[in-house]
Amino acid sequence: MEILYDILVKPFVDMVAAPDFFLQVVWEGLVSGVLYALIALGFVLIYKSSRIFNFAQGIMVVFAALTLVGLYEKGVPALLAVPLTLAVMYLLAMTIERVVLRPLVNQPDIILFMATIGITMFLIGFGEIIFGGENKVMITEQLMIPTGSYIFEPFGGFVSIEQKDLTAVVGAVVLVGVLLLFLNRSKMGRAIRALGDDHQAALSVGISLSTIWVLVWFIAGVIALATGIVWGARAGVSFALEVIAYKALPVLMLGGLESVLGAIVGGLAIGILEKLFEIYWGQPLLGGNTETWFAFVFALIVLLFRPQGLFGERIIERV
Amino acid sequence: MKTLLKNALMAGALAAGTAFAAQAAMAQDSIYLPNLSYRTGPFASTGIPLMNGQRDYMMMLNERDGGVNGVKLGYDECETGYNTEKGVECYEKTKADAAITQPWSTGITLQVLPKTNVDKIPVLAPGYGFSPMADGKTFQWAFNPPASYWDGASMILKAISDGNLDNLEGKKIALLHLDHPYGKEPIPLFEAMAEKHGFTFLPIPVGLKEMQNQSAQWLQIRRERPDFVLMWGWGAMNAGAITEAAKTRYPMDQFIGIWWSSLDSDLKLVGEEGKGYRAISWNVPNSDSPVMQDIKKYVVDPGKSLINQGEGEFDWVFYQRGVMISMMLVEGIKAAQEEFDAKVPTPEQVRWGLENLNIDEAKLEELGMTGMLVPFKTSCADHTGHGGGWMLEWNGSKFEKVSDLITPDREAIAPLEAEKAKEYAEANAPWPVNDECKM
Amino acid sequence: MLYRTAGQFKTSYEADFALFPVKQDSILLAAVLVLAFVVFPLTANEFAFRALLIPVLIYALAALGLNILTGYAGQLSLGTGAFMGVGAYACYKLITIFPEMNLLVAIALSGFFSAAVGVAFGLPSLRIKGFYLAIATLAAQFFLVWLFEKWAWLYNYNASGAIQVPNIDMFGFTVAGPRAPAITQYYFVLIVVSIVTFFAINVTRGRIGRIWKSVRDMDIAAELVGINLMKAKLSAFFVSSYVVGVAGALFVFAWRGAAEPNLFDIPLSFRVLFIAIIGGLGSILGNFLGAILIVALPVVLGFLPDVFGVPISSSAVEHLNVMIIGALIVTFLIVEPHGLARFWAVIREKLIIWPFPH
Repeated sequence: MEILYDILVKPFVDMVAAPDFFLQVVWEGLVSGVLYALIALGFVLIYKSSRIFNFAQGIMVVFAALTLVGLYEKGVPALLAVPLTLAVMYLLAMTIERVVLRPLVNQPDIILFMATIGITMFLIGFGEIIFGGENKVMITEQLMIPTGSYIFEPFGGFVSIEQKDLTAVVGAVVLVGVLLLFLNRSKMGRAIRALGDDHQAALSVGISLSTIWVLVWFIAGVIALATGIVWGARAGVSFALEVIAYKALPVLMLGGLESVLGAIVGGLAIGILEKLFEIYWGQPLLGGNTETWFAFVFALIVLLFRPQGLFGERIIERV
Repeated sequence: MKTLLKNALMAGALAAGTAFAAQAAMAQDSIYLPNLSYRTGPFASTGIPLMNGQRDYMMMLNERDGGVNGVKLGYDECETGYNTEKGVECYEKTKADAAITQPWSTGITLQVLPKTNVDKIPVLAPGYGFSPMADGKTFQWAFNPPASYWDGASMILKAISDGNLDNLEGKKIALLHLDHPYGKEPIPLFEAMAEKHGFTFLPIPVGLKEMQNQSAQWLQIRRERPDFVLMWGWGAMNAGAITEAAKTRYPMDQFIGIWWSSLDSDLKLVGEEGKGYRAISWNVPNSDSPVMQDIKKYVVDPGKSLINQGEGEFDWVFYQRGVMISMMLVEGIKAAQEEFDAKVPTPEQVRWGLENLNIDEAKLEELGMTGMLVPFKTSCADHTGHGGGWMLEWNGSKFEKVSDLITPDREAIAPLEAEKAKEYAEANAPWPVNDECKM
Repeated sequence: MLYRTAGQFKTSYEADFALFPVKQDSILLAAVLVLAFVVFPLTANEFAFRALLIPVLIYALAALGLNILTGYAGQLSLGTGAFMGVGAYACYKLITIFPEMNLLVAIALSGFFSAAVGVAFGLPSLRIKGFYLAIATLAAQFFLVWLFEKWAWLYNYNASGAIQVPNIDMFGFTVAGPRAPAITQYYFVLIVVSIVTFFAINVTRGRIGRIWKSVRDMDIAAELVGINLMKAKLSAFFVSSYVVGVAGALFVFAWRGAAEPNLFDIPLSFRVLFIAIIGGLGSILGNFLGAILIVALPVVLGFLPDVFGVPISSSAVEHLNVMIIGALIVTFLIVEPHGLARFWAVIREKLIIWPFPH
């Protein structure tokens, strides 16, 4: 019975007993969730327009952040380094389209997926040769991101909110807003969605496959840079960042592979839930570190009930 | 596509051919000293300065003195990326000619350890590896001078209790550690000490994938409110922990790391906010010392070093620790040369040399390293030396020595070491034990 | 000329469905077996055994297990590393609890543990498909590795959390542990791999193999013609995880000698997946070709700068190595998406009709 009490009652008692701490946990979860959502968004965009499950999104985050910091270290002013990094990401998108994707058009999904793992490995080696493996400091102040923190003192405790986390959240909201506008209102955006709906039909009305693919990979690069800046500001920039790509995968499962909305909702949900589970169940009962698997197991359970994710397109099978 | 591939192949073949023609003859009078380095992977940031320090000291000796007693030091790196599989491959690849092996990760050390008995190559693991390796009778081929992790744990406990561990009674001490053999290493000692001295011990593991996102661990620290947080961190984990500590408003003067958590570039990430963070260390950087000046003159200034001068890597604790590590190895070789009157000592002879290291104050002064390393002495029964260490404190821009020499409480550790060494030998029976050693 | 099949008449069904209906194939296989059983052991040095021959065989076996699931039954899995871990830990516990147990028996039994875990994590495949399933198998991957870290009973409460293989004797030879000579371990691995491969060839071309293939090609259609999907998919998970578990046990007992939990983490899964895909999905031979490429190539590449005397630091070699492997994967996928096995098939076709072009 004691165990049942520990599982079913005690965590909630703890939450109510220290509400300021609970708020802090939720906030931390929310910030991680925003970052997961951003990475997942990069995946979704590419998947929507080309049915490629782009495993390289994680390394693109590292690559973009390293390019930015590397350029700054070479003496380029910070605000000039950002557009230059974007140019590099565009070049990368073009190269990937030309060298990898174009010859692989119409191959089965798994082949394309493997190709993106190949790209990941290539970029890891390439990046380490160019930038070296050292931990680098993200140029937070030079990009005019505030670094202080707000301290609130509700319920007699305290909740500390980092200004850079807040910037990350606001920045992400703006980015997603712009992206949605672009996808829904602009001609290019409509072309991307058309390609996502039906390849052949889109091609037949004159949408150029290669232009759109470069564009989509470039947008994924922009998202990667944004993710790299905010995540790098939290913990420095190094190749260890690459592992956060895995965190985006359960988000995709939960939200559905094609849904922009799903990526955002899934990211936030997983960010907050895994933090709550870790603090109130994982650490006291399971020895901690449950964040490595919680998101996957949670998404798996949801998937058993909705095989296409919460917001995914209904899978219709024909024989 | 096809012509492209063909051209690439031809270019490759051509390049390879030219390179083959230009192959340089290997010098005969040299001793092969492979190092299983890791300049890549998630732990590269901690590995690079250490490897640079090791390499530069050897290069300096080669340039200044022509090696040791006329024998060039053939320092060579084999890259593992801290990956155990690659590490074992490197060990197999280098062992034929090697006079020593330096495995670098606790995981690789554990795999290589049983093989060295068969291959007869000494393992040098300064300040890392398996703490019971101090028992030289059981672990004939392994050396971890000048202090083991259990020594480090004991020294930190001594420092935070003002010398008397009973002062810790009723306190809560958290260990923030990497969830990996390295991070788990000190746990048995802390548990034993907690039982003996009545403090609460709380291990907080950080998964390899969570190194850069430790908010859950620091929320736990905020909830549990431990009196001290000790850190066994590595690579990207250190920087993550120190940033989170600053964010959680955990008092920095109650946050203490092991020697591998004292990398300058990790602390530079937080700068002023990390002020007051301490780490135990068996070496202290001193860039004005004769040895560092010689390295500057012979290696750094001519542009032969790989260090990042813009970041001031030359002054880092880790770079100079690399220098100290190479010094221990070179002194071992020197001792072997003198004892056996051999120009290029065999691995067995180097083992003897490492077993008879005597790095005292006079020796350090002779080498131009006064005060840069704790003095220690090894023997056939004691492969660690247990020299002790100093507390270093981050002052906002660099680490400074803030304590006198702290020595580990050997009386408390030795029985545990003997017990674990015996367990290991029994689990791996038949395990050869050095019966000749009468100490 | 050498590969002419003309004149080899089959007079019965049995002959036509024999393992090697073409005489030259069996000769070739015999040559490879002689090479593996006689020539390599006579010529290889210890480094070649430990860095090339043994790992190639073990990885090929793991890829074979994955290939049964992914290549034959069409269920993409990213959790191979963790299932190898289950096999390894099961074998470790069996040896600890029954020290007298023959290692071959222990390895054979440990496969059943990973098979059971594989079936449990295969259950979602009844409802989830494609990439969703692939990500779902990641749940197994991450959860199991976490379990290896946290469940101290699994590693006998060792302080370091790692497991170490004791010296194990079998029929008078030391086959595992630090004292085992490389050549004995090689033969041990070779025998196990040969047996499992023989069974795998027969299973995949028999009734159950055909059921798997039909599920892979279109599961709804397969269901409509009366195939029990649940049975087909779960049996694929069972057989695949069994083979993968055996490979995992060999991985630790016959090669590495020690293991820490994160050894079985996702990079291992990817490595095995690379081998299966580069070798060729839905092929037995491909696993061996793929393993030779993915496992042996980096080792050989690492030696090149030394051989040619190019002054390049070992970390740069490692970086280049990662780059080259990445580029190779992409190149292979572009040039021949069906893998190395298809290359061989094409060459064989050409040989059969040689010297005529068509």
